[in-house]
Amino acid sequence: MPVVAAAVCPHPPLLVPEVASGAAPELDDLRAASLTAVESLATAARIVVIGSATAASTYDGAAGGSFGAYGASGVRFGTGPAVLPLSLAIGGWLLEQTKAVHLPRTYRALPPDTPPDACVRLGREIADSNDRIGLLVMGDGSARRSEHSPVHLHPRAEIFDTTVANALQHRNLDVLKAVDPDLANELQAAGRAPWQVLAGALEGTSLSGDLTYEAAPYGVGYFVASFT
Amino acid sequence: MTTSDGVLRLGSRSFGAGEFALMAIINRTPDSFFDRGATYATDAAFAAIDQAVAEGADLVDIGGVKAGYGEPVSEAEELRRTVDFVAAIRARHPELVISVDTYRSGVARQVADAGADLINDTWAGADPDLVNAAAAAGIGLVCSHVGGLSPRTDPHRMAYDDVVADVIRTTTALADRALAAGVRPDGILIDPTHDFGKNTLQSLELTRRLDELAATGWPVLVAVSNKDFIGETLELPPGQRGNGTLAALSVSAWLGARVFRVHDVPAARQALDFIAVLRGTAQPAGTRRSLA
Repeated sequence: MPVVAAAVCPHPPLLVPEVASGAAPELDDLRAASLTAVESLATAARIVVIGSATAASTYDGAAGGSFGAYGASGVRFGTGPAVLPLSLAIGGWLLEQTKAVHLPRTYRALPPDTPPDACVRLGREIADSNDRIGLLVMGDGSARRSEHSPVHLHPRAEIFDTTVANALQHRNLDVLKAVDPDLANELQAAGRAPWQVLAGALEGTSLSGDLTYEAAPYGVGYFVASFT
Repeated sequence: MTTSDGVLRLGSRSFGAGEFALMAIINRTPDSFFDRGATYATDAAFAAIDQAVAEGADLVDIGGVKAGYGEPVSEAEELRRTVDFVAAIRARHPELVISVDTYRSGVARQVADAGADLINDTWAGADPDLVNAAAAAGIGLVCSHVGGLSPRTDPHRMAYDDVVADVIRTTTALADRALAAGVRPDGILIDPTHDFGKNTLQSLELTRRLDELAATGWPVLVAVSNKDFIGETLELPPGQRGNGTLAALSVSAWLGARVFRVHDVPAARQALDFIAVLRGTAQPAGTRRSLA
């Protein structure tokens, strides 16, 4: 049983209170749900964080994360230079606040055009380990959920996000593997490739899913799920 | 990189270094975020311009397309909303500097023929032919920074290692391109374009460090009036951002901005007149207190 726990979290910069300033309490529930899900990874021996980024890359646990690019230069973690892309930086920032902070950690960034089968394969490779792996999957739903979304409303955004949410809740790996990359890109759903890594990683496990948060308070779909 | 005498020349007007020029916003759109189309009808727009001029506006900025996301506006419709209107303003106010807020070269050419003096390209050269239109017509051009967005879209998680450095790099490159295309060097402005492709913290940083933009030598236009970064800072809706607008405008003026695009002309004029005295580029109107 190489993957012993997994968590799915969103990665808006707004999750970081110093970025949100006075709006921080609006996401208290999302922050709490995310931290609870990440806390469940502390039973593992090693953490792997997966997220989307413009280019593929791998980082070790010393890699730094910062939110200066979003206006909060005072928030940073890691001993190395702040090289982590947003999705992984939010993942690392969450881990820093949990008991999983002391576990060895690696990060993998995947570009949005990574084919689904490559994502599933990567998930299997991560799971093919003698270590007890805790997998942190950073993924947002569609950024086109409402009239006031960052990217304007797309009529298919809500059903897309609902489909993913149900698949996370019911651990429907086939549905996650079948998410269409082109549609995900059109809907500006950053989580597609990471979710498909999750699907590959969970194949050999009996972990069951629990969706603890699903909402789009600013027109971007956010999900939190735990697999334990 | 810019004119040796630092004078900004637009239409028949010249604005020396240290002199503030005030640009009144006149929307020819039915769906502006701020006035929701108050000046869409022609008569109302003329009345708004007459009033702005009387209250101290040096320029008017005519927009035929809402900046943010909205109903598609064809080039033909944008031309219909702007060209005859510009010609009529020119006839009515021969000295007024007329700016047109457009990102389309086809619109720029026709409004220039109708008497416009400046093209306010809020979408940062999205139409590469726009510089040629301004050059051919001999009119001015505003070079703006939108963080690589397409026209009429909103920002999603824009990230900058240094937002001020990015703005300087982008706007001065556009200004250099305009110069190379033949736009008059004394008619080129740069605009950091608060809110566009920026979150509130980034727009605040731009305001705080506006002196760095002014130090490029290009005249800086600021358009902070009633924008979301003011609203988010003070937690106020568009109709209640006037005081915050004056604060942002005043700091910008103090740090070296030269052209100010505003909704509330008399308030901005007072603030700018006061700052001109503080900076020593103008005299107080009269100083009798404790002197008699």
